[in-house]
Amino acid sequence: MSISQKLPFFVLGTALLGTLAQAQGDFVRIPNGWLWFLVIFIVITGGIAVGAYLYGKATRPGKAAQYAITAATHMFIWVVILLTFYPIVYLLAISLNENDSITAALPKTGNILFRSGVLPDPSKFSFIQYQKVLGETHLLNYQWVLLAIFLIAAGVALWTLFAERMGGSIHKLEQYRTYAGWVIFLSLATLVVSINPSQFYFINEAGQQVGSSTERKIILYIRNTLLVSGATGIFAVLISTTAGYAFARMRFQGRYQTLLSFVFIQMFPGFMALVAIFYLMSYLGLLNTYPGLILAYSGGAISFAAWIFKGYLDSISPSLEEAARVDGATRWGAFWRIILPVSIPMLLFIFLLQFIGTYSEFILANILLTGENQWTVGVGLRNFTTGRFNTQWGALAASAVLGSIPILIIFYSFQNALTGQHTAGGVKG
Amino acid sequence: MDISKPVKDYLVKPKKSEGSLWFSLVLLLIALTVAAAVGALGIWLTRLFVPDAPNYIGIIFGLFALIICLRYIALRYEWIMPWYYLLPAIIFLLTFTVFPVILTILLAFTDYAGVRNGQLSVSTETPVIAANDTTLTLSNAATLQCDQLLGSRKGCNNVRAVVYASGSFQTQGISLDGVILKVDPAPPADRAIKSVEINLPSVGFAAQFPVVSSTDSEIVLGRAPPADADISNIRLTLDKVPIERKIVSVSGDTVTLDQALPEGLAFETIARYNAFGSVGLDNFRLIFSEASRALWPVFVWNIIFAFSTILINTVIGVFIALLLNNPDLHFRNLYRTLLIVPWALPGIITIQVWRGFLNENFGAINRLLALLDLPTYNWLGSQTFAALAPKSAVLLVNLWLGLPFMMTAVLGALSAIPRELYEAARVDGASAWQGFWGVTAPLLRTALIPITLTGFAFNFNNFNLIFLLTGGGPACPGSTATARCTDILISWAYNEAFQSQGGYAYGLGSAISIIIFIITLAISLVNFRVTGALKEETNT
Repeated sequence: MSISQKLPFFVLGTALLGTLAQAQGDFVRIPNGWLWFLVIFIVITGGIAVGAYLYGKATRPGKAAQYAITAATHMFIWVVILLTFYPIVYLLAISLNENDSITAALPKTGNILFRSGVLPDPSKFSFIQYQKVLGETHLLNYQWVLLAIFLIAAGVALWTLFAERMGGSIHKLEQYRTYAGWVIFLSLATLVVSINPSQFYFINEAGQQVGSSTERKIILYIRNTLLVSGATGIFAVLISTTAGYAFARMRFQGRYQTLLSFVFIQMFPGFMALVAIFYLMSYLGLLNTYPGLILAYSGGAISFAAWIFKGYLDSISPSLEEAARVDGATRWGAFWRIILPVSIPMLLFIFLLQFIGTYSEFILANILLTGENQWTVGVGLRNFTTGRFNTQWGALAASAVLGSIPILIIFYSFQNALTGQHTAGGVKG
Repeated sequence: MDISKPVKDYLVKPKKSEGSLWFSLVLLLIALTVAAAVGALGIWLTRLFVPDAPNYIGIIFGLFALIICLRYIALRYEWIMPWYYLLPAIIFLLTFTVFPVILTILLAFTDYAGVRNGQLSVSTETPVIAANDTTLTLSNAATLQCDQLLGSRKGCNNVRAVVYASGSFQTQGISLDGVILKVDPAPPADRAIKSVEINLPSVGFAAQFPVVSSTDSEIVLGRAPPADADISNIRLTLDKVPIERKIVSVSGDTVTLDQALPEGLAFETIARYNAFGSVGLDNFRLIFSEASRALWPVFVWNIIFAFSTILINTVIGVFIALLLNNPDLHFRNLYRTLLIVPWALPGIITIQVWRGFLNENFGAINRLLALLDLPTYNWLGSQTFAALAPKSAVLLVNLWLGLPFMMTAVLGALSAIPRELYEAARVDGASAWQGFWGVTAPLLRTALIPITLTGFAFNFNNFNLIFLLTGGGPACPGSTATARCTDILISWAYNEAFQSQGGYAYGLGSAISIIIFIITLAISLVNFRVTGALKEETNT
């Protein structure tokens, strides 16, 4: 129903846009397709609403109108979901298509959606794009073992979630999940650190080992990004926790002024000072190295992380620490033995927030990492569309899918923490 | 203890006897200065033994010195302890945020640029014909490219330069045994021998022989000269000697230096540094003199973009959140999980994927529009109607990217509204519609203010979206080459500083950054004033 309210604007907007120059190209058109689409859409939506109304009238007469509204709501939300998912489905479909180029000839027969190129041709389904971007990655034997351990641990973690839903013993399952989490973290960390650029090559006709082109090294770029993001996250946590603790639990002259400067300094975004950071890193000899990039990221992360941690400590009672102090613990001992263990979920949250933020950072990485073996995912993907050769859309799509998976998994594993805290922070005050 | 009392009531208030902010800072500064000095000393000492040690070795030395200093201070002034907890964060902020910011501010008053980057310019190496005390005669002074340094400075005047002395060294051979040549007198020990010129009477000219290694008077050649080689007079080519001087003036092909050149060397070439220096307010003057072609259009679009993207996202986000907030709606958690997907994917990847979708000829969006018999557009490049199509594309992609956050934030705000309020409204006879306007809308408005302000501040500097989607394009008629139709302030600054069409004008880019900082600061101050985020801290 809300769609139909927007219709006049939609038509008006289309008419306005219609005066603009039209793109050239041989598109498949259905004459008056938009009209057909609208009619069919209204008939379906109206039909469902009317059906729900009649059903409601037959079962609970007083609620009939509400049934119709609910049915229309579902319909509308599904339209939004379809629109949201269309780019994602299309991306997946390209990555699973044997055509490397979206300019390739479209099929002449079959469903109109495939003939027009609105969806990639399913008869060309293949894993060739993934073979291409993964085929020149040569893992060593122990790395395969690590990968297997990682996958098994991930499977165990998934199983605990499933078993919990099925009604298993929550306490025991949580313990399993903690173990699995550690195994996942350790195996992945070892894997990430151990992979290096020399493992990306192919053997040419003459039998020589040739280094892969940038389009074939997505695993290396994911590894680089995980390394940089992970180290930045750990760094941010290490440095900001003591600062956040001091702000929350200690009272000293100059506290407010320092807190204020932390907040205001953070407002000068890191990449506005790009020129200066570039100059600083080239002076320190840290250009094109991970430590340089990690330090630059951490510098921008600290005040925010300290601010969040301070807010968290403000919300928990200091009675535990006070008790420990009375029992003779030092300030540092109380911090180390009481505060840190209590704050682990918060520290994990700060880490994840920083991790995800760093994963999606482009500009500093683009400026500071000049060697193609050091690139992060974003810089590597950018090279697909700005490189010297024709864009290999299939390989780009496969790389994009692979590059998204780590963040997708992390996001949905910690969905409540990551989305909930954002809102709490935003609404606070 | 009574935990219902606020936390700060338990904390010890600072005593008057404790050190003031300034005294604490001075103590920390002394410690840091000592650490920095030890760090510099450490670099120097390491270089004595390992000549090509990297600069960051100094950090390690500095850290040790710092720990010792801090230990000593803590013994004298016990109240310094809180500052030690802050010190790691402060050091990091100083080094990687404050120092770059200060450097940016300083650079904004210089003409630091790609052609004036402070490095030695190899491409300006010019042959020297004659040298006399402080004056050099060049073969062609134009290759010094002094015009690149025009501006507030007068070309090459007062610019550092390097004069290269030739490495020719005449000597006599004592013996030649295969590839091993012994000479006397020996060449200077500290200079590498690049090649050896030996007369070959059998062919009638002198030939160059590469050098593999040399020790004192013994030289190992890359290949053996013929047996009849005449080694009585040998010319060695040593590496060039660079002599640093400052150019005082250039007139015609004559260059005057500030100090006399050393005697006894033949001077071959001169190269200048890509000097940069202070230009006062010139960068800002340039920005404002070109304002109608760059600053104003970019600023206006920046405001329109940030404002409309927040408006669109908020309206649609609130609408969907209100639909999903209905507790009677089946699958609402499933819907929420599905709709959040764009947030869960890294924007840096999805924005670049959108570039493909919006491609004029092959993109899915245009194919979909064509299928529906709607007009298709050059989404990323159309200039018509003040580049309406690229601007809509930017807003569309940002809607896709930003909707999940907006929806989740509004859902969070909605769930904070107690159900009892609705009950009470219903008991008072309010309809569902009245309940919405009377209860939901006012409470939601309060919650939306910080969300939208944060969103505005974020999108105001949403570099990734603009740079990765449209790259700022298309070119806008009547604007400069760096300030294009969808460029926002920060991508404009980037274009000036890091793209060739902006001439790699780092100084100018820094000046724009400062303007952006002032605007961002203003937005944030409004944000703090409205949300009161810092208010609770002032009373402690």
